[in-house]
Amino acid sequence: MISYFKRAMDNFRGSGEAAVTVPSLDGAIRPNHLLERAKVAATAEAPDQIVASDGTVLYSSGPGLYLLGDGTEFHRFDSNISAVAAGPDGVLAVGLTQGGVQIVGGRHDGVVLEEAFSCPVALLFDGADTLFVANGSAQYPANQWKHDLMSKGCSGSVWRVNLANQQAERIMDKLAWPYGLGLSPGGLIVTEAWKHRVSQRGSDGKVTHVLNDLPGYPARISPTADGGWWLAVFAPRNQLTEFILRESVFRARMMAEIEPDHWAAPALEQSDTYMRPLQGGAQKHLGVVKPWAPTLSYGLVIRLDHKLYPLFSQHSRADGRRHGITSVVEIDQQVYAASKGGDVVLALTDIKERATV
Amino acid sequence: MSLSENMTRWRYKYVPDKAIGEILSKNWIDTLIPAFFLSVVLIIFGTQMPTFLSAANLSDIGRIYGEYLFIAIGLTIVMMAGGIDLSVGSTFALCNFVALSFINYMEWPIAVGMIVVVAVGAFVGLINGILIGYLRLRAFLTTLVMLIIVRAIVDMLLLDYAMIIGRGFNMSPVWEFMALGDILGLPASLMAAIAVAILAHITLTRLRFGWHVMAVGGSRRSAFNAGIKVKRTVCLTYVISGALCGLAACFYAARLSSASADVGRGLEVTILTAVVLGGISLGGGRGSVVKAALGTLIILLVQNSLIQMGFLSGNSSLILGGVLLAAVAIDVRWVKNRHKVLARAYVSPTYFKLPDLPDTSQGSDSPYALNDKLRGVEAIGLGELDGPEDMIFDRDDNMYCGSRHGDVMRIFAPDYKRVEVFAHIGGHPLGMAFDAEDNLHVCVGGMGLFKVAPDRTVTKLSDETNRSWTSIVDDSRLRLADDLDIAPDGRVFFSEATVRYEMYDWMVDALEARGNGRIICYDPKTDTSRTVVPNKQLPNGICVEFEGQSLLYAETWGCRITRYWFDGPKKGQTEVIIENLPGYPDNINRASDGTYWCALCGMRSPVFDLAQEMPGFRRRMVQAVARDDWLYPNMNTGCVIKFDRDGNILDTLWDLGGEAHPMITSIREHKGYLYLGGIYNNRVGRYPIEGADQNWTSSVSYWGKNRGGTRK
Repeated sequence: MISYFKRAMDNFRGSGEAAVTVPSLDGAIRPNHLLERAKVAATAEAPDQIVASDGTVLYSSGPGLYLLGDGTEFHRFDSNISAVAAGPDGVLAVGLTQGGVQIVGGRHDGVVLEEAFSCPVALLFDGADTLFVANGSAQYPANQWKHDLMSKGCSGSVWRVNLANQQAERIMDKLAWPYGLGLSPGGLIVTEAWKHRVSQRGSDGKVTHVLNDLPGYPARISPTADGGWWLAVFAPRNQLTEFILRESVFRARMMAEIEPDHWAAPALEQSDTYMRPLQGGAQKHLGVVKPWAPTLSYGLVIRLDHKLYPLFSQHSRADGRRHGITSVVEIDQQVYAASKGGDVVLALTDIKERATV
Repeated sequence: MSLSENMTRWRYKYVPDKAIGEILSKNWIDTLIPAFFLSVVLIIFGTQMPTFLSAANLSDIGRIYGEYLFIAIGLTIVMMAGGIDLSVGSTFALCNFVALSFINYMEWPIAVGMIVVVAVGAFVGLINGILIGYLRLRAFLTTLVMLIIVRAIVDMLLLDYAMIIGRGFNMSPVWEFMALGDILGLPASLMAAIAVAILAHITLTRLRFGWHVMAVGGSRRSAFNAGIKVKRTVCLTYVISGALCGLAACFYAARLSSASADVGRGLEVTILTAVVLGGISLGGGRGSVVKAALGTLIILLVQNSLIQMGFLSGNSSLILGGVLLAAVAIDVRWVKNRHKVLARAYVSPTYFKLPDLPDTSQGSDSPYALNDKLRGVEAIGLGELDGPEDMIFDRDDNMYCGSRHGDVMRIFAPDYKRVEVFAHIGGHPLGMAFDAEDNLHVCVGGMGLFKVAPDRTVTKLSDETNRSWTSIVDDSRLRLADDLDIAPDGRVFFSEATVRYEMYDWMVDALEARGNGRIICYDPKTDTSRTVVPNKQLPNGICVEFEGQSLLYAETWGCRITRYWFDGPKKGQTEVIIENLPGYPDNINRASDGTYWCALCGMRSPVFDLAQEMPGFRRRMVQAVARDDWLYPNMNTGCVIKFDRDGNILDTLWDLGGEAHPMITSIREHKGYLYLGGIYNNRVGRYPIEGADQNWTSSVSYWGKNRGGTRK
């Protein structure tokens, strides 16, 4: 009852859930151009996730898994890869856009998990026999994330699968697109994209929202050597998007009548097409788009400490191209980031330094 | 079309939302608050008291009202200049005493007596004025002290002379008329006060002194910087206030002949309450005589009625004090939030549905199919130009274009490397055209239509047109003259993009999608302008056709090009020749082969098209979302189309990615090249037209081969 009145009041005042305001990029998330200046480790079409497996670094792009050094194809699947995880002894778990998770290598080679995993967007091994699966949405496949976001999807779930007997147990549900998984001493870490937050599930099943009010939609999270985390943020929040999320009639018509690429909705890639709507501040003056212009796509990685507090960040801003970072991984003191919107895998530098413009 | 869509369409067609914002932007809107209170008072007392509206009661109130009104006007003038005068009650008492002494007791002629009384009031005011204006003492404390001192003087005088004065009686009929006479059924004092009020209103709103008072009250420092004599202005307001107290005292003395110690006691609070309730801001700079008059009337009615209803005077003061507090609170909150209310209400979107977006995909059969023809066009004046919205060539091939800094730039032929400022106008020059005598005509955003002669003299041709009958705001001033062309007989047809937004807000007009613009004809023979085509959706480019009897105009937000006949058998008629363009058309100009070029300054996006069908969505967006985040038409990509007189699209030139020319606002063909301009760009582009006439110039096309020659 109280929550009903609170919602009504929020709708009236434009506060709380109904607010269109977005957190400012400040403090540890102060903008810079470091992603834009980072070295290119590989050029690939829409690289999605990077994993270290048995001494090699692999990245997924479309239906293939490639070696980072020379770009040779390591493995190929029937449909686009939506998630990858590496386990002990070179075993790989691969989620597919068409649904289902396949195990490649190791003692469970060839196992296919199809049940309930229509949208596997994040995978994580806990030892050789346990696999965590984040199912982004119960309604949409992984490549229709925009539909899920714009229909205010909240049907994601996290599962623990025993690979030995292929028993799957749902440990979390009603999540707004769980897009990243990590294991910390305190429990399982889950990023919830549409709720802009990172949560932790303790061993007793209690969930705490550790990091809230991110200025973008978080994707994968991965550990660093010193117990901290790298968090990839794949799209920015935008006042216009927040406003359209409140406008159900407009949203419904936009989703029904217009191609997803041309929606006024977050996007992975910076686009030149005029079919995508323009916001006033993004008007080119003297041939230049201002870096602080409102934008539907952005590149952002945030370094967190062991308590998941932000330390510093690297950006590719509105005038940049390296947008849509879906995964950041630290491997042997080298940090790689996959820019799905910018079609590159980046080798990040200056990672110890605090953000400067 | 569905039922709900029809409902929306009719709703936005017949409910004039924009009127709300326009009414709110009027200065007199503040007066509505006291007017509302007045009607409440009238209703309450009119129903509660049977004698309230009786003639006798009204006549009594009218006499007192006249006296109060003098003082209220004086206090209003002081407060408009940012001061306050608490000494009005004491001054009133002093003047009453003086009037009784000289006119009643010593029986001086009325005219002389009144002059002396007013002079005494003005003298008290002058002391106030010198202390506050010249010596910069605090108005509040100074007049408070003056209240005490003058009151003490009056008390001392009354102690000695009250009995003597009380015996006096002036038999003059004028004196009696001032006390009891009526003019046209209104009490004499009220008639006099109304005359003074009209005078004061004209002074404050129309005359130099009044403007100085407003300026000083609005911002003392700015007024000083603008060269206004601040000290003198402040001083004079107190003198006026004192003099008007004297005038009020004359009528009071004539009516009551009372020299009691209670005269004028507490009057300053009553009058202050009255004017603040009327909406005269305590901070200065805002208010009007009408508001003061309304406020005074309210207070008087309340006070009078409370006494008649048998309230004790203590209760009555309590209520008055409560009203003063409430009035001050309302004043503070209203002044603080007025602009917010206005900002929320001003943008008023309406329903507009465009047909489906035409196909533009690369390699399709569409006449608008994407291509790369404008890639790598040569850049002229790169980095030296800022905002060449339009450009034109003289008979020596020199190019002229506008700049954001308010200059007309000249770029010299043949290599177009050297740039100079040809003439400074002050506003951003937009559309350009040469007349038969080689005078450059320019539309200047925010200023109007100007002419620059070859010897660089700048002449204003027009900055206003006839006001339309139904508009709430005064739309006679030109806000955004955009593009022009000149008919063979010398008449200048120019477009005004919108009457609701200033130059740098022109894209906000897209969110309204209403026909806010118009086409105006300037006739050099009579030196007047008249609106010829009203209510168009951002009319932009204008091009007189080769036949010289009609012109083509582009409606940017309407995505259409229309023909308008200004001469010939079809005079006055319009005909749409191109509809449903894939983008927003800007300037139109002649091509060498008898056809026309048109620049599309931006392209339609499906989301924005959808938003145009949902006015409520756009209105809520404007209210909820920060300005830089608003959905706008996509102005980061533009193209050029070529079309013939029947509206067939012949060619389309694109710059994919918008590297060099993100937004093309104008095109001009000259000797085989097409020149491209952009209002937000830093260059003019030059594109060689395949197979074009290498000798064709627009000057010859319009005015023939003779330089500065006779009209065609």
